[in-house]
This record gives sequence, C-alpha cells and structure tokens, in this order.
Amino acid sequence: MQWINKWKGAASTKLAGLLIALFFAWFIVSFLIYPNVNLLKTTFIIDGSLSLEAVNKLVSSSRAVQSLINSFLLAVSLVMTVNIVGIFLVLVMNYFDIKGIRVLSLGYYTTLIYSGVVLVAGYKFLYGEQGFLTNLLAGIFPGFDTGWFTGYGAVLFVMTFAITSNHVIFLSNAIKKVDYQTIEAAKSMGASDFYIIRRVVLPALKPTIFAVTILIFLIGLSATSAPLIVGGQEFQTINPMILTFAKSVTSRDIAAILSIVLGIATMVLLMFMQRMENNGNFISVSKVKSTIKKQKIENKWANALVHIAAYLLFVIYALPVVLIIIFSFTDTFSIENATLALDHFTLDNYLLLFTDFSAFRPYFISIAYSAASAFIVVMITLLVSRILQRHKNIYTQLLEYSMMIPWLLPSTLIALGLILTYDKPNSLLGNQVLTGSVWMLLVAYIIVQLPFTLRMLKAAFFTIDHSLEEAAKNLGASSMYTFRRILLPVILPSTLAVMVLNFNNMLADYDLTVFLFQPLLEPLGIVIKSSTDPQASTDAKALMLVYSVVLMVISSVALYFVYGRKSK
Amino acid sequence: MKLKNMMLTTGLALTTLLAECGGTEESAAEGESAKEPLVVYTNSASDGRGDWLKEQASEQGFDIEIVEGGGGDIANRLVAEKNNPVADVVYGLSTMDYENFKKQDMLAEYVPSWAGEIQGDINDPEGYYHSIVKQAILMIYNTENYDASSAPADWPELWNNEEYHGQYAILGHEGGTGRAIIAGILNRYKDENGEYGISQEGWDELEKYLTNGYHPAEGEDFFAKVADGSVPISGIWSSGIVPKEEEFGVDVAYATPEVGVPHVVEQVAIVEGTEQQDTAEAFVDWFGSSEVQGKWTEEFSTLPANEGALEYADEATKELAESVTVQDIDWGFVSENIDQWVEKVELQLLP
Amino acid sequence: MIEFKNVQINYGDFVAVKNLNLNVREREFFTLLGPSGCGKTTTLRSLVGFVHPSQGEIFLNGENITSLPVEKREVSMVFQSYALFPTLDVYENIAFGLKVKKVPKQEIDREVRDMAAKVDLSEEQLKKKVSELSGGQQQRVAIARALVLKPRILVLDEPLSNLDARLRVQLRRELKNLQKQFGITAIYVTHDQEEALTLSDRIAVFNKGVVEQVGTPKEIYSHSETEFVCNFIGDINRLETPVVKELNEQMGGGYLEHDRHYVRMERVHTRQWQGGKEASVLKLTGRVEDAEFYGVYTKYSFLVNGTVIKNIEREDGRAPHNIGDEVDIYIDIHDVMTYRERHSYAVDQ
Repeated sequence: MQWINKWKGAASTKLAGLLIALFFAWFIVSFLIYPNVNLLKTTFIIDGSLSLEAVNKLVSSSRAVQSLINSFLLAVSLVMTVNIVGIFLVLVMNYFDIKGIRVLSLGYYTTLIYSGVVLVAGYKFLYGEQGFLTNLLAGIFPGFDTGWFTGYGAVLFVMTFAITSNHVIFLSNAIKKVDYQTIEAAKSMGASDFYIIRRVVLPALKPTIFAVTILIFLIGLSATSAPLIVGGQEFQTINPMILTFAKSVTSRDIAAILSIVLGIATMVLLMFMQRMENNGNFISVSKVKSTIKKQKIENKWANALVHIAAYLLFVIYALPVVLIIIFSFTDTFSIENATLALDHFTLDNYLLLFTDFSAFRPYFISIAYSAASAFIVVMITLLVSRILQRHKNIYTQLLEYSMMIPWLLPSTLIALGLILTYDKPNSLLGNQVLTGSVWMLLVAYIIVQLPFTLRMLKAAFFTIDHSLEEAAKNLGASSMYTFRRILLPVILPSTLAVMVLNFNNMLADYDLTVFLFQPLLEPLGIVIKSSTDPQASTDAKALMLVYSVVLMVISSVALYFVYGRKSK
Repeated sequence: MKLKNMMLTTGLALTTLLAECGGTEESAAEGESAKEPLVVYTNSASDGRGDWLKEQASEQGFDIEIVEGGGGDIANRLVAEKNNPVADVVYGLSTMDYENFKKQDMLAEYVPSWAGEIQGDINDPEGYYHSIVKQAILMIYNTENYDASSAPADWPELWNNEEYHGQYAILGHEGGTGRAIIAGILNRYKDENGEYGISQEGWDELEKYLTNGYHPAEGEDFFAKVADGSVPISGIWSSGIVPKEEEFGVDVAYATPEVGVPHVVEQVAIVEGTEQQDTAEAFVDWFGSSEVQGKWTEEFSTLPANEGALEYADEATKELAESVTVQDIDWGFVSENIDQWVEKVELQLLP
Repeated sequence: MIEFKNVQINYGDFVAVKNLNLNVREREFFTLLGPSGCGKTTTLRSLVGFVHPSQGEIFLNGENITSLPVEKREVSMVFQSYALFPTLDVYENIAFGLKVKKVPKQEIDREVRDMAAKVDLSEEQLKKKVSELSGGQQQRVAIARALVLKPRILVLDEPLSNLDARLRVQLRRELKNLQKQFGITAIYVTHDQEEALTLSDRIAVFNKGVVEQVGTPKEIYSHSETEFVCNFIGDINRLETPVVKELNEQMGGGYLEHDRHYVRMERVHTRQWQGGKEASVLKLTGRVEDAEFYGVYTKYSFLVNGTVIKNIEREDGRAPHNIGDEVDIYIDIHDVMTYRERHSYAVDQ
C-alpha cells in the first residue's frame, strides 16, 4: 500500500514538473522566440538570401555612429550619477537621522508616479527656454542664455533624477535588512560614519546595487524622451533612430541591427554582473538580527552638508511635479509664458477632458490591461524564479536567458513580430488568430514586462535564507505549500513593488499599444497621443498637463494600495 | 491579508477585462447579422473629428468604431494585419500610403457614387481609393516678421538666401507634412541614375535645407515658434492654419511658388477582406459625398477634394484653393522611394 | 534505534563523511562534536534527508530510511538560524507542521497551546511576530515547532551558537530538561566541547569526516582514544622531553620519548593529597610563572625543567601561590595519556 502511494506521489510531482516544463517550452517558443525570429527573417532575408546591407549603411553614417556612442556614454554616466544620487537618497531615507525626512521622502517618491515624456516635460517647464527657473535667472542676470538647458549635461541631469525609483524601492528594502549589530560592531571598533557606510553597509547592499545598476545601464542605453526633448542637435542617442527605423519597412533591418548591438551590450553586462553576484557571499549570517536604527551624523559640518543636499534634492524632485499640477489649473497664456497670476487660474482644462462619462472609458481599459498583465507577469515570473532557485542546469539557464529576450528588441519590433506571426491560424496557439483580438495587447504587455520583473524577483528570491525552506520541508510541507505560505510572504514586498511599477509603466504606453489594441477597446495612451499631438489644434500643452496629473493620481492610488496601508 | 486584497483587486480587473472581451467575442459570433461595428482606421480623428464623424454616422445608422494613431503607425498596423485585417475602411493618410497598400493587394476595388465629383487626377484611376480632403503643404511666415516682398517665395530660397538661415522650422520627417516637403524638394531633381532616383544636386540641396533650418524638439510646438517670431517661417498643412492662428492669436501668410505646392491628398478606401463589404460601401458613399464633406469643411476648415463641397468652405479656404497651384509630383515614384529617402536623411543628411 | 552503516557522503570530489558507522540508542541525548568542516552537520543533514549518502545506509528502528523523503522520516530539526518563518506569528509557526498534516483546527489549537506551555511561552508571546522575540524565546519556538509533531527524533544543528554566554548556559539547561521531559531521542551538533560534555549521554567526536571516538562524556574526556580527541576536549598539558626523562627516572622507565604524553590540568597537583599511592606519583619542582584568576579557580603556569606545565587550583581559601614561588608538583601516572605517532593508545589501560 505504502509503496503505491509513494509511487503515486512521485509520479504526480513528476507529472507536474513535466507540465510546467512543457508550458514554458510552449510559452517561450510561441511568444518570445518564434515571433521575433519571424520578424528578423522577413527583415533580413530578401528574395531568399541574407542581406546585410544595413551594416554598411550604418557604419558609413557618422550620425548613427555618434548616436550610438552617445547612448553608451549616457548609459555609463548614468550608472555613476544615478548610483550616487540613489544611494544618497536611500541613506538619507533609511540610515541617517534627517529632520523632516517624512516630507522629503514624498519628494523622492515622485519618480514613481511620473516618467517618460511627462517627466521630461515637467523639467522643461522648469529649466527650458521659457521655463520658470530660466525666466527667473534671465530676470536676475540679463544676457543669461535661455537655451542653457540642452545637450549632454541636461539629458544627464534629467535622467539622473528620473530613474532613482529602483533605488528608492529596492535598495531601501535591502538596507532595512542590514544587520544593525554589524554597524554597532564597526562603531565600537572606532569606525567613522562614512567608513561604516563604505565598508559595512554598502557591501551588504551589493546584490541589489548590481541589479539596479543593470537597469540603469539599460535605461541609459535606450533613452528616448530626454535626448529628444532636451538633447538638442549635439546630443542625440540611438533609440529614437531605432524607433523611427522600426516603423519603416525599408529601414527595419537597420533598426534590428542597432537593437542587436544594444542587446549584445546588455547581455555582456548581464553576464558580468551575474558572475560578480555568484562570486560574492552576501547573506547575513547573524542569528539574532536587530533592526537598523537611524544614525545621527556626529560631525556637525557633515551633518549640515547632508541636510542641505537632502533638501536640495527634494526641491529638484518636487518642483517639476508641483509645477505640472499648478499649471494644469491655468490657462494657455500662463502655460506658454510660465507665469502665474491669480486671474489666470481655471478649471477649463479639466472640463475639456471630462466632458461626459465615455471619457473615462479609456482609463478603465488601460487600468484593466495594466493590472491584468502586471498580475500575470508576476505569476509567471514567480514560477520561473522558483525554478531558477531550485534547479541549476542547462535548461534553467536557457529559461532565464529566454525570458530576457524582450530586452533585446524595441517594443515596436516585438509588436510587429506578434502581428506578422499570429495574423493567421497558427497551431502554436491552437489555430487562434491573435491579431485584432483583445488578447493581443495583453500578451504583448506581458512579454515586455518579463525581463525587468524576473531580474528583480530573482534577486529577491536569492536573498531568502535557505533554511526556511528546509525547515518547512522538515515539518512536512510540500514544495507548493512552502512556496505559498513561507517564501511568497517573504518576498511579497518586492513582488508588490515590481507589480505596481509595471502597472504604472504600462498605463499610458503608446509605442506598443498603437499596433495591437483592439478597436473597440481604445486604451489611454492612444487617446493621450492623439489629443496632445502637435497637429491637433486643441490646446495640446494644457491637455498634456491634465493627463499627466490624472496619470499621477492613478499611479499614486496604485502605490497607496501597495505601500500606504502597510504603515497600519 | 494584503496578499488577499491584492489578488482580489487584480482578479476584479481581470474579470472586467474578460467580461469586456467575452462581450466582443459573443458579438463576433453573432457577427454576420451586421451588428458588429464598422472599424475605421485613420490618422485624422483628432480635434474632435473622430467624435463628430461617429455621431454623424450613427445618425445615418452607421455604427462605426474609429482606430486612430499617428499616420505612420496606422499604416504600419494596417500592413502588418494584411493577412487578417481588423479594419473595414481606412481614410486619411496620403496617396503615398494608398499606393503602397494597393501594391500589396490590401484594398478592395470600389468606385463610390461621388468619384466623378473629384477635381483633377487625384483619385486612383484603377478605382481602389478616392479622394476626400486635399492638404496643401504650405510655407507660412509670421506677417509681423515678413511681408509679401521680404518673405521667401519658394522653398530653395530658405537655404540659398542666408537671411533665412535658422529662421525656418523643419517638421519631422515621420509625419506626412514633413515627408511631403521632402518630396516637394526632391521631386525637382529626379534622375534615373541618381541614388534612389535623385541626382546628387538634389541631395546637396536637401542637405542644405536640413542643415540651415531649426529642428523643433519633441513636444515643442513649431507654431509657437512661428507665433513668437523666434522661428517665423515653417511648413504646415493647410487645414492647420486657421485653428492655429486662432489658438496663438497671430496672422500668418503663405508663399505661392510658381512650381506650385505639394498637395497631400487624404483618401478613403475599403480594406480587402472586410466582412462588411456592403456596409463599407454605403459608408464610403455617404462619407465622401459633397454634403458630408461640406459639413466636414465647415467644421474643420479642410480643403475638400469634392467640388460640390467647396462651397461650404470658409473664405480663407476658398481663397487658398484659388491662389495656389498643385505642384506636379509623381506620387507613385515618391511612394516607391520615400522610405529610402527618409532613411538617407536620418543616416547621412541630418546635422 | 538509529544506525549509520558504512555511510559515505560526497560533495562533488570532496568526501565530507567517510565510512561512518554509528549507533544511537532510544531516548539518548547524542552529540556530534567536532571543529567546523568535520562532517558533523553533513551527517545530521543526511539523517534528516537533506543530503543523500553516496554509499551506505541509514536505519531508523530497523527500517531503511536512506531514500525516504524528508517529510516521511519523522525527524524534526531545529536549525542553526532557527529558520522561524518571519511572516507568520509565533502561534502560526508552531502550528505550521500540524496544519500541513491537516489536523483538525481544535486539535491544532490544543496541541499548540499545550506545547507552548511546556516550553514556557505565554499567551501573549504566541501572538507576537517572531522578530519581536529574544534569542532564547526564539529557540523555544523553534523547539516547540519541532516537537509539536511528536517526532521520533529531534535533531539540533548548533542552536546555541551566536548567543551570549549567560543565555547559552541557561538555554542548555532548558534544552536538556525538555529532552528528558519529552523522553525523546535527540541528536545534537556542536563545536563547543563544554556544551557537548554537559548535555550529552554520549558523544561522537568527528575529525575530517571520520569519527575518532564514541563514548560517554567521561570516557571521551578522561580516556581520549586519540590524540585529536584529547586535544580537542578540555585544556591539557603536553609533557615535554625533560619532564618525560624525569618521569622515566622516578618510575623506572617505560615512557618513550618520541611518544606524546599528556596530562589534564586539573590532574596536576601542588599539594600532596590524602590516600595517594606514593609509588605511582611523580614529583616535580616548578616555579610559578603566571596566574590567571577566574574567581572559582585560578590557572597557574609553572616552569618545570625549562618547560611549562599548567594547573588549576580551586579558590577554597587556602593560601594561594605567588609568582616566583617554588612549588612541588605531583602527577599521578595513571592520569598520563600516551599516544604513539599513528596508532594511539592510552598507556594505563
């Protein structure tokens, strides 16, 4: 009897394993490999032979080469600046005793609720030619160059303060787990504040710093909005060019090659980081950890300096948002001239947007798609992380790298690959046609979120004390039960953070959405784009501001669901 | 607790989504009974044009659903979906796009009842697409900066006369207007032996055009620059002038070159493979008629292709129709080469 | 009850445990003692089922459990880090295993409260998060969580390391009491010899993947079978050549100079004791070099024939030695443990 049960148990876990393996094989082939290969095939194989003319075209284009160099320059610069600012923020928020940090933190969190075009527009509002600060400076110093905020410096400045979100979320989570006893120990040995940070705190944060560094590098490489808006002629990057070329059948091969160049750079970095990660031993060995306590900076001058920097950063972070909100309530005149006067305040911009109930429909559609995709992606990724954590072999490596494929291609190409592949019945999808269906957008949203989600969740998984799992197993829990009751709750904070970031990211997406949305379900990104297009005669700037504010509100609500209630 | 709440929320969102999609699938199943809306692709639905059209159409008993996006995006989407089209009708875009669609057998042949009312040879002679709105691509200037004598009379003056260097805005070559301007310039230098059908001189001229002008940054309104006089000259599509003048409270005038100005023609066509051929035909017949196009021009100051609709147009539009001539451009040739031209611009000619 | 038969455990090329044969009896408190990396934890984990022997078999009550999955072995483990589930409260931690077994709710409740009472956890503590407990309370939760399943065997992997000395002593006592109270077989891994001596019924001393000696604490301590065991356990004097020469002179030979001779510190006396058989007592003279005061006792270092011999004197009120004093030193030759180069043996057996 017993051996039958044993055999049954073993067989059922084997069967489950097989089913999961089959699912991922199918998923990877159907959504990550086949459509993209299909697209690359139609792109590079012309009349049955491989054409690499695009390479020649690129090499002979000094503009393309310069843009590519700029992209790498930006990526490398950002790795440094963002880490400096990000780590400083995290220390200020969690480590040092800073007066008024609760309010300051709100400022630092603003990057979570606005990004991309909106964010750069906000900066332009402040620093641009007609900008608030520019006007102010020009008023004080006659002859001030109003076009000062352009080029490499401007792009670096905007992006540095735009992409600290991952630090603020993930690095903060990590620093809270640093064993306070190690800090006290270092202190007792006479180490100074900054020595402790350098030799005790930061090393403990290494895995997370690695993870966010990869993201910074990626974001830098694929920078689009910031160089387009404030880069000027002298500092253009490669991604806008890729996007332009990806949309033209004739030039798609160039887009693909450029993406592949960026992709290879990303992969190299990824593998490098993975090696660094594997070599290090970062898991705390303490048995009785004590939670971190805020440190008062002993040196009076250092203390003052840190406070000043913290408040300055707050101003840099908060001002664009505040201005966007204020100006969304003013008329065109004020917006154009970036001046404020009491009689120019109005609610008209909002009334323009919400004329009737149907105006809300795109919001619901986008929220549903973003939420559903964010949720499904997290589910898939949790499973993958779990597999990666438990098994290490050639198949799991393959699985991990397959999940990174969407990082290699711009979303436009991913979208086109999907349409080209699933516009006719395909046996991979049970002969369902995906093109034109409601599922298309969901599938695409899921695909593009995979790499980031996996990177972050995997990092979270690998910091779990292995003995927790053994303990659960020892107490008789099945692997699934252990996962659900023990491991998942431990990584839930990171999981939710990733989920809400994904949600906010997809909310107003245009590049991917425009190719794939189902005609009856028009998402927000499309509405925003069409009503704020420069060709539209409606007051594009005012509408953009209003949309920005609305998006910020939705994102804030999403964040509140995840973070706000935790304090209770 | 938190996990449960989260699951609940997302679950709810999912069900909403699925319910929505379930609904559409149902209707797809019943689909044949013409209950399904007519899907119309266009790049020309902003400024309330889409809503207006939907409303007018529904009064006539047409249930239409508009899919809008940038011109290039909509065209790309249509091409990508050619094996299994989602759209029934497409309008807007430009002749170049329709030539491209036709070549790929993406359009259904249908000659609407109003085809004969269109002036000039701008309909497809083979009967696949027909014209609704003409956009003259004009060179405008702020009348506070220039008058008729000091303003440039034709495009080449912009780069040949140093006085205008840096004074004119160059529209993005992803958009239809920017492309039409490039076509208008290059079309003057056709050369069978040249690169992409253009002589070296043509390329040199285009490069000068691109290097000596002002490139508005993303999100920057070129018209604002024209209005404040910092970059007083720009190209523009004709229906944009009136609303932009009103918005910015300035007066602009346009040049009337002897060679004429490029006219981008917005067309309408039925998508090959539509399951609602009859409804689509009825809609096209209605939409392109002089009455509807007349209202359209009344509402949105467009320059109608339909002769009968022109009388509804405002004075400025009528004057425009009379004052500028149509530049003779071989759109078939342009359509074949424009992507390569733009690629060359991106890779080599842009500063 | 537990039997390891010719067990070998490899990690890749590395042999962690070599040809292990062990017998643990029912209700015994059995300790695996050794320095870190000696294979004691690996042995423990093979009993729980986390690692699998590459050779040999493990029997539990005669049943071969070598390939039985972890959850079927009824061996509960207390981890070095306790591995308490941080997202569950104390009650849920203890109830975890019962819940997995789908025991009815009321029964779970009864068992958990019962167990909590036995390990001295209060009602309020049951509702607390594990991170709010002190180290000692955490240990009790870990033990309660393991014991509530009524396992056949409880295994503990260095559960007292990293705790402060006072707490360690207190918990050690609690642990022993609990084991007795539950009448359970316990296997305990430690590198702390004092812990091993005070807790265990029997001890197995590990060195480099091999068991050097199995025995009661007294046997291990007083009759260390190998030089390694004798050195690893307790403080000890090695008798250097001049002393061995003296020994041979007074006792009439028998002690080879190239063998190693040891005597434990507390067996070195400075006062002739009552009823000693004069014939077997070695008498030396030394000068007091150093004295370390511990309160209960003092540790002295004497210079004898140019070598150092240490001893311990109870602080019982008798006049202490002063540094520089000349002192007579007595060693009963029965207390001398002698080991040969390879095959070691105790001379007095």
